Amino acid sequence: MTEALLQAVLSGLAVGGAYALVALGFSITFTTTKTLNFSHGEFVSAGAFIGMSALFLFLGLPVTSTTFGQALPGAGAQLIALAAALGVMGLLGWLLYVIGVRPFAGRPGMAWVMSTLGFGVILQSIGLAIWGPKPVVVPGPVGDSVIRLFGVGVRPQELLTLGVAVVIMIVFDFVMNRTMVGKAMRAVAANGNVASLMGINTNAVMIGAFVVSSALAGLSGFLLAPIAQASLFMGLTVGLKGFSGAMIGGLSNPRGCVIGGFVLGILESLVNLWSAQWREVAVFALVILVLAFRPTGLFGKQMVEKV
Amino acid sequence: MSIPTLFKRAILTASLVAAATASAQDIKLGYNGDLSASPSAQSGQAAVLGMEAAIADINAAGGVLGRKLTLVTRDDTSAPPKSIQNMSELVDNEKVSAVFGPTNSGNAMAWKHIANQKKVPVIGNVGSGTDITKPMSPGADNYMFRVSMVDREQVAALMAYVKKNTSQSKVIGLMAETTGYGQGGLKDMEEIAKLQDIKIAGSERFGVGDTDMTSQLSKLKSANVDTVVVWAQGTPIAQLVRSMEKINYFPLVLTSWAADNITFYDAAGKTLAEKPIFMRTVSETRTPAQQKLFDRIGSKLKAPGSFSFALHGYDSVLLYAAAAKQASSVDGNAVRLALEDLKAPVQGVLKTYEKPFSKTNHEALTAKDLVWIRWKDGKLMPYTDPIVSSLAGADFKQ
Repeated sequence: MTEALLQAVLSGLAVGGAYALVALGFSITFTTTKTLNFSHGEFVSAGAFIGMSALFLFLGLPVTSTTFGQALPGAGAQLIALAAALGVMGLLGWLLYVIGVRPFAGRPGMAWVMSTLGFGVILQSIGLAIWGPKPVVVPGPVGDSVIRLFGVGVRPQELLTLGVAVVIMIVFDFVMNRTMVGKAMRAVAANGNVASLMGINTNAVMIGAFVVSSALAGLSGFLLAPIAQASLFMGLTVGLKGFSGAMIGGLSNPRGCVIGGFVLGILESLVNLWSAQWREVAVFALVILVLAFRPTGLFGKQMVEKV
Repeated sequence: MSIPTLFKRAILTASLVAAATASAQDIKLGYNGDLSASPSAQSGQAAVLGMEAAIADINAAGGVLGRKLTLVTRDDTSAPPKSIQNMSELVDNEKVSAVFGPTNSGNAMAWKHIANQKKVPVIGNVGSGTDITKPMSPGADNYMFRVSMVDREQVAALMAYVKKNTSQSKVIGLMAETTGYGQGGLKDMEEIAKLQDIKIAGSERFGVGDTDMTSQLSKLKSANVDTVVVWAQGTPIAQLVRSMEKINYFPLVLTSWAADNITFYDAAGKTLAEKPIFMRTVSETRTPAQQKLFDRIGSKLKAPGSFSFALHGYDSVLLYAAAAKQASSVDGNAVRLALEDLKAPVQGVLKTYEKPFSKTNHEALTAKDLVWIRWKDGKLMPYTDPIVSSLAGADFKQ
């Protein structure tokens, strides 16, 4: 029984790592622009496909291949693919900000919700036109043989995702709280006009937030592809669960987001151990419960409007 | 308007009218299913390739009732509302004589009332949901036929295997994904287990996008389950066997036919992919007629495994053509009655159909037509063992 419980916790952490990365992506744009990229999930899928296409090109296969077969890309190829996923997705984030968010951000109304959602639908349709609907199994950079710790099995790619989520959380936590850039980002979020008067280039900060958030989606996709298979629909669940994780932990706090992601992953895994059909009920009941008692999440800062 | 222009337009109009009358004599067949949007689109594309091949062959031999067959395809992108809309369009605007498809069982359930109300025969060649071919009410005229796998037939065979495998299968567990497909299969499995008097020690569910099912498997493991029957799509079955490896638990695994998908093989990896046993309408060892068809269309298939749907597609059109010939009409009701009572055997690429349908049976392929399959070196090879060879008609209960 202990073994099953330990396995459930470790598996939950592995799944939670993916949620945590996505939750961080939501957090960055929210803390600077008070907007969210509602197509973050589609961005994750897009990142996976960019990385996968880079690997295909590196191996001399056509981009639209549907299987790697026996071909195994080396470390160099994986690094280039990672760079491609980060770079292309970062650019897409910039594009999204310019055409989908800037015209509407800070204005009353919810136009940016629709425009970010629409951007995701467009991305997905383009993806379907290029790659088709078939999921592709992508070889991971750290191999695929099961690692056993205390009788509990986990795959190296899952550990990698978990580790990356924690590292990125620490970096963001540091940047947001200890550096000028972080201060500028928080200032822009608090009041764009005042920040601008103080000499902060608000436009650059907001672009930066969307670029980093989208690059993070690319990273999530790149890391998730070997675990879940690259598919244009893979981002949907992760996007929703990642957002839920961010709501539980607190959208405005990177640490909270990651903890929220992990909590969600472990909760799912433990509910599976009890009765899997109640899992979604348990997850969203928790989200509602947390929001009812702590609207800014477990670790979120209270919103104080100074008048 | 100058005279030459007028002349040109007159010719254009005349040729358009001529084209319209010419095509009015053709027999239009419709295809309504996923061709682009989800993993099942591969199956739909393969079915259409098979149908096109059959239509070409029939037309080359003079057509049906002296008329040529043509195919109108409509992509339903796996979405039920789109599929319903396609159905109305095919029947009301395109005036098709019969409809083939769909890929998703749920979509067939969403529009089967249309086929029955408008009296348009439908021959399914992909979706395997058990209830698709059931009449709307007991004894009612039923226009839904099928040349494909049927979930309940597979379940019947898998459960018969489990029942006979007394030496190895002592404690049985069931697993299914939480989609309509998985839950429908789970219901079939539970019902047939009851018929076969098989005691189920545990019944577990998982999400279609889950990447880790170790928790559910740990439960079965601690209940000493030695045989698991799984109902899910290819990708989650792969995640399931990968999770089995994590906790080093390898019971006997019997699955739905979705494990034939190349995605399953890729995701599970060679060693793990060779664990499950499942059923299909055909293995990758082909008869000469099947090989001939494969040589014609194989290069256009997105995945070689989807070739079985091309075979279903081919045979479904042949059966329709035979029924229309027998009825000497393409009237929906006449064709339905002919399908339910085909006098002459139809030589298909899967098998020879002798009285494939009746008033009550609308399935051309049943448990005894299915073959046992296990992946071997990246190929879908026929699987056999003493239990498989000893299974007889009386063992299949449903």
